[in-house]
Amino acid sequence: MLENSIFAILALFLLFGSLGMISFKQTVFSGLSFLLAMMALAGLFALLENSFLFLAQIMVSVGAVVVISLLVMLSVNVNEQNLPNEPAKFRWMLFSAILVSPFALLMYKSLTHMNREFVETVAGYGSLKMMGATLFSDWVLPFEIVSVLLLTAMVGAIIIARKEPANDA
Amino acid sequence: MSTATIVVAVFSLVLAALLALLMIPVLVWLERRVAGLVQDRLGPNRTNVGGFRLGGVVQSFADVIKLVLKGEYYPSHIKMGRWLFMLAPAITFAMALLAFMVIPFADNIVVDGESLRIQALPIESGILWYMAIGAVGIIGIVFGGWLSHNKYSLIGAVRAGAQMIGYELPLGLSVIAIVLTYNTIDFNVMVQWQSGTVLGFLPAWGIIVQPLAAVIFIITLFVETNRAPFSVAEGESEIVAGYMTEYTAMKFAMYFMGEYVAMNTASAVIITMFFGGYQLPWVSTQFLLEHFSIFALVMMPLIPLVVYFVIKWMRKNNRVRETVSTDGGRLFETKVLTIALIAMTVIIELILVYLALQPVGAFSTSIAVTLFQVVIFVVKLMVFNLFFILVRWTLPRFRYDQVQKMGWHYLLPLSLLNIFITALIVVGVS
Repeated sequence: MLENSIFAILALFLLFGSLGMISFKQTVFSGLSFLLAMMALAGLFALLENSFLFLAQIMVSVGAVVVISLLVMLSVNVNEQNLPNEPAKFRWMLFSAILVSPFALLMYKSLTHMNREFVETVAGYGSLKMMGATLFSDWVLPFEIVSVLLLTAMVGAIIIARKEPANDA
Repeated sequence: MSTATIVVAVFSLVLAALLALLMIPVLVWLERRVAGLVQDRLGPNRTNVGGFRLGGVVQSFADVIKLVLKGEYYPSHIKMGRWLFMLAPAITFAMALLAFMVIPFADNIVVDGESLRIQALPIESGILWYMAIGAVGIIGIVFGGWLSHNKYSLIGAVRAGAQMIGYELPLGLSVIAIVLTYNTIDFNVMVQWQSGTVLGFLPAWGIIVQPLAAVIFIITLFVETNRAPFSVAEGESEIVAGYMTEYTAMKFAMYFMGEYVAMNTASAVIITMFFGGYQLPWVSTQFLLEHFSIFALVMMPLIPLVVYFVIKWMRKNNRVRETVSTDGGRLFETKVLTIALIAMTVIIELILVYLALQPVGAFSTSIAVTLFQVVIFVVKLMVFNLFFILVRWTLPRFRYDQVQKMGWHYLLPLSLLNIFITALIVVGVS
């Protein structure tokens, strides 16, 4: 019961955090909502007793991703006048929510008909040792592919952002 | 849950809270007195309560009362998000406090065959917790600087964030090398690892086993805590007070105290990882448990000797003008403190006599060992806090571009090199 209520609270935070991030007009509150959503996600990992994922989520998503996003928002420093005027924003949101409701129904149906017998957790579940062993034995190929993908994205971003050499130099 | 579990948990939690919170006034006082020492002046030493100055610590409490009573001032140009403006310092303070909770203050105590951690938050992933929670504290600084709607604050917030990102990488990479060496992320196991010796005679402290990682780690923690010489985020010679410019009264005090809590936490993490934590060099907990009577016998003549010199020093220095009657308060303070110190010594001596007569492995011995280790931990913590303060008043502040260059150009490649060397040695040894 306690577990369910904690899950519900965290899920609400996650939901409203994600919604707030895209719907707030002031960028400060978008940033705050992003932070809340990431923290709630970390809380969900903690609820699954996976301490490593919980700490990694806080370290990577909150400590790095949110801070970098905040820095970008800070340096862009958008004025409210410069944002597009959207008088019917919430009406559009409602409309799109109605549009995607069949998919929500599909999700609900498929999730409720899933196999409800879950695998028992073994001793040491969620510890750093077990995560590392799994990652570097069963999942080593996907792990390496993801790291190469990230490296490619980084090199691409650096090349795009690099200053062109001046013509007169 | 047995009674012992609850008692140990409450003891660790109270100890952690006291060490983090009561250390703030002491550190503020120490900072001013050490600054005075470095600059050849006295520093605050007059404030007293009924004649008791305690060397000037009372000044810190007077400062707190002043800050609480000050009027709350809000800049009128802050239109929206005033609650977040107020919340931001609290985030920084709370995160600095939370990060302190994973430090082990003594080795695990065994009660009825159950091993209990002397750690406020008894989790195994200590260093991960410190890095994760320590990184969240910056959010409070960024929000505070942003919502101040002030160019100086904004620049301070951007500097704090960019500097943190630049130094989080060397920090994480040096931690990887340390984890490779100790083969654990548990703070307590790290300390136990350091109780051995290397090369036969040196204590196996992290600073001797991993000197490069230790230097990088200490430098990055100076940056993480925003202390000089890396205090570019609040560099008062350039940007007024950085992210704190628009903050007054208790809201300012939150940032101010958060900085000291973060410094205290950083010192605790450094001594836990590189200076043997709560252990004396060459002396493991097991040895201490088995031969505690010898330790008691060694300490019995040492404690009165130390107390004698402390009293002598106090009697010499704690006086101003002997002929002026209003200065007599200091003599009264000296008298009371002398009696208190002698009484404390007598009580400790009696306890030591009692413990020396106990059989090996008695329960009271293990409690005494735990308290002994807590005392060693606090002494080391104070020494490292003193180091932090001395560095602040010795080195001038770096320029912002120098800070960034040092992080990305020197520390990052060095920490990568360190991982490479460490991995080679670890593979070669095993």
